[in-house]
Amino acid sequence: MKLAEFQRRFYTDDMYPLRIGSGAIGGKATGLVDITEAIEADATINTDSEVTISIPRMVVIATDLFDDFMEQNRLYDAALSKIPDDRIAEEFQNASLPVRLVGDLRSIAREVNMPLAVRSSSMLEDALKHPFAGVYATKMIPNNQPNEDQRFQKLVQAIKLVYASTFFEGARRYAQAIGKNSSDEKMAVIIQEVVGTRHNDRFYPDISGVARSHNYYPFGHAQPADGVVNLALGLGKAIVDGEPTWSYCPAYPMSPPPFNGISDLLKCTQNNFWAVNMSSISEYHPTQENEFLAQGLLSDAEYDNTLHRIASTYNAPSDRIEMGIGANGPRVINFAPALGLNESPLNTIIRNVLAVCEKSNGENVEIEFAITFSKSRGFDGRFGLLQVRPTASVQSEIEIDAWTSESPDSVVFSTRVMGHGVHRVIEDIVFVRPDTFEPKNSLIAAQEIGRINSHLQKEERPYLLIGYGRWGTTDPWRGIPVVWDQISGAKAIVEAEMEEARSDFSQGSHFFHNMTSFDVSYFHVPSGQGFKLDMEWIERQQVISEHKYTKHVRVDSPLTVKVDGRNGRGVVHHD
Amino acid sequence: MPHSSFNPYETAQKQFDNIADKLDLDAPTRNLLRDSMREFNFAIPVKMDDGSTKIFRGFRVQHNDARGPFNGGIRFHPQETIDTVRAQAMWMTWKCAVVDLPLGGGKGGVICDPHDLTTGEQERLCRGWVRQISKNIGPLSDIPAPDVMTNAQHMLWMLDEYETIQGNKYPGFITGKPVGMGGSLGRKEATGYGVVFTLREALKELGIRCEDTTASFQGFGNVAQYAIDLYHQLGGKTVCVSCWDQNDQVAYSYTRKDGIDLAELQGITSRFGCIDRAKATELGYQLQPGDAWIEQPVDILVPSALENQVNADTVQSIKPSVKILAEGANGPTSPQADKFLKKMGVFVIPDFIANAGGVICSYFEQVQCNINYFWERDEVLGKLDQKMTSAFIAVSELAKKKKLSTRDAAYVIAISRVAQACKDRSWI
Repeated sequence: MKLAEFQRRFYTDDMYPLRIGSGAIGGKATGLVDITEAIEADATINTDSEVTISIPRMVVIATDLFDDFMEQNRLYDAALSKIPDDRIAEEFQNASLPVRLVGDLRSIAREVNMPLAVRSSSMLEDALKHPFAGVYATKMIPNNQPNEDQRFQKLVQAIKLVYASTFFEGARRYAQAIGKNSSDEKMAVIIQEVVGTRHNDRFYPDISGVARSHNYYPFGHAQPADGVVNLALGLGKAIVDGEPTWSYCPAYPMSPPPFNGISDLLKCTQNNFWAVNMSSISEYHPTQENEFLAQGLLSDAEYDNTLHRIASTYNAPSDRIEMGIGANGPRVINFAPALGLNESPLNTIIRNVLAVCEKSNGENVEIEFAITFSKSRGFDGRFGLLQVRPTASVQSEIEIDAWTSESPDSVVFSTRVMGHGVHRVIEDIVFVRPDTFEPKNSLIAAQEIGRINSHLQKEERPYLLIGYGRWGTTDPWRGIPVVWDQISGAKAIVEAEMEEARSDFSQGSHFFHNMTSFDVSYFHVPSGQGFKLDMEWIERQQVISEHKYTKHVRVDSPLTVKVDGRNGRGVVHHD
Repeated sequence: MPHSSFNPYETAQKQFDNIADKLDLDAPTRNLLRDSMREFNFAIPVKMDDGSTKIFRGFRVQHNDARGPFNGGIRFHPQETIDTVRAQAMWMTWKCAVVDLPLGGGKGGVICDPHDLTTGEQERLCRGWVRQISKNIGPLSDIPAPDVMTNAQHMLWMLDEYETIQGNKYPGFITGKPVGMGGSLGRKEATGYGVVFTLREALKELGIRCEDTTASFQGFGNVAQYAIDLYHQLGGKTVCVSCWDQNDQVAYSYTRKDGIDLAELQGITSRFGCIDRAKATELGYQLQPGDAWIEQPVDILVPSALENQVNADTVQSIKPSVKILAEGANGPTSPQADKFLKKMGVFVIPDFIANAGGVICSYFEQVQCNINYFWERDEVLGKLDQKMTSAFIAVSELAKKKKLSTRDAAYVIAISRVAQACKDRSWI
């Protein structure tokens, strides 16, 4: 689909995306543009409800303007000089946007006075069909200042921040990890209306969500092809940043995710939410992504009257969760009314949109969306589709044959693995020593691991963690009783089996939310044929630190962690 | 380049009379607006470097200040006349009004050729001009600015002289100052970029993509260079530029069919916009007579040098391929040529919209000086684009609605606004 040229009218008669400039529009914008017609054309998507499904109004600034900005201001030297992120951001703020862009931005500032999201739309993302989720900056601006000049300035600052984030350290590392350089990247920018409603000084959607048509961490009865949905109250930042949110399988919307009891559920669901700060008083941080974001408490949301469709209440005397907020008690954001009541179309709409996006893309997809309900107590409102990303191309890279376990290069092999993708970032291995470890010492082993983890986290070195029995168990005799903070730097976790601590595959349930949020692979390696854990090779590596029950070694070149989420097969191998 | 028999003031008055008829203006209004409100004609004695004293003739014409303080450039030109300055002052009034600035129109000049003056002589001339007129100009009454052959350094000398006389700081006295000394970011680009903002809108109106067009520019000074820069950014191709050759005292056109390289030409151009003829030829540019710029088979012509360049004689040379004439210079088209262009179906972007970028940015500079807070370049150019685009759209819509030429539509808007301001003040 061809984008119409922006004619200085943000509010056009139709909702099709518009463009400024003539270059590429990047992966994120392409995903949305491609799906716009499919969403409008598919009559099955929303036949029974009063929810309007659409792509929020948006204008895309094409990559030729990014090129002009970089070249006219001679920014490449600073951008590629590996100076700290804040210095890069400062350099970019001091530069001028291309003259052929500023008039158009001025017209947006003049016409629009509601919150805007300024998002990156990377060309590498488009070229490689590789999702760059969370790599580049997104800035929300309230855009509600009475003065047009101020709205213009904030919009300009946000665009410059998104441009600068192309060269931030995290983006550089990410590019490196996929065999590219930041200098290969060109950035388009999406200026999009924020879906939401203003409540006092907060502007936020009733529900934000990320849905994937394929689930690489299936739990319970769910199959990978059933997909997975994460929902949050307020802006989607909570989901993107890996904060506690609600995860469920769209085939079983009423099945809760694997929590270890109600106290775990209370701890691992949302206690606060993100909103655009509409207050006239905000700190001045043009180089910060969250300059205009504010966190609200659940009590704020209840005051805003945005909990009744999504929250339940903990009844302490009966130690039960009751749907809705009719009774007094701590609120639990489990979306039970929206997912469980027959009149709610929420899950049906998510499934339909996911199916349309999957069909249109011809492969598995991940979508981001935001929902606002109208003032009435029903479920009529607006479903805004914010992003569509194909995920299948990543799969096609991953082929793991059964004979891989026989390969001398493979260090770990299992057919009981959760996660998906390929990582080549691990050079460190932390493991529980099989020669000294006994289950009675598991608590000490956990403390040792916590110290090593802290050290590696400081150095920003992701690592492979190997231990025996269930990780995170509360019973020290059944595994290593760590909490997430003690292993938070692990990029891949191996749960091996030993005679003294034989246990079932834990499915990583103790850290399920963290693992899914941080894309951690989880290997269960029972002893027996078809599985492999080459401790002899690991023991031969350079020892960094040695403790009573644990050891930290380093390899010469990064290990490859490869997990095929379609069949739960995974391998860790060295070069 | 100037056409010897041409009197710009007569042209300006004819244009005014034509619109006054259309608007059915009453006699007092016509009489007031047809002439300047005040004119200053004075001698400027300057000590020359060789010890002699030379008397230069200086002017300041204040056409109308009903909508705000007079505002207009100071021209240094050997062929300057009081009538040229009068015409330019009147055009400034209309220009400020059509883009809706709260300013009136004025213009100043000195009969001189700065190429023949040393830096010290130029400084003494600038200071002398201010000494003669300082009682009658100022940040609240009449604000000068750079124009033909005057630059930021000249403005700074004039400011310094004015502040010395007044005994205080008045950064808003004059515009076009250097950045960091009270000047505005974006000022040097403003006029050239502004020409292309209006050109872009005209192309949109005609349904033509900029990347499918070619253009020929008369002049290679500040205005033309920035106009070419933005025109190229939008995808257009310039095949010809002309400029005055100081050594040969004649104009030349430089053409290249596959498009000029702006940076390359800028590299062999003097600060007065004079392209080095020998180097240009070496680089493969075809050298042609000065008038050849108008004969190019292009889509767009941009006269951005002096007045009366598109006249009854030269207009015949315009090729049928030309769709737009964007007047970067002041008064480049004579009334006879205008009629001819209308017959040809050429879309004319009249000077006082096309080149209003400079005065708009002068206004921005004055605002910034008066509050002593200076804006980012993005802000200056964003505001400039918006103001010029709005003015263009207003003119274009009126032209279509009332079946007027764009020039007449622009005059109708401008003269109506000024006449209304005079009425509101009960002057007439």
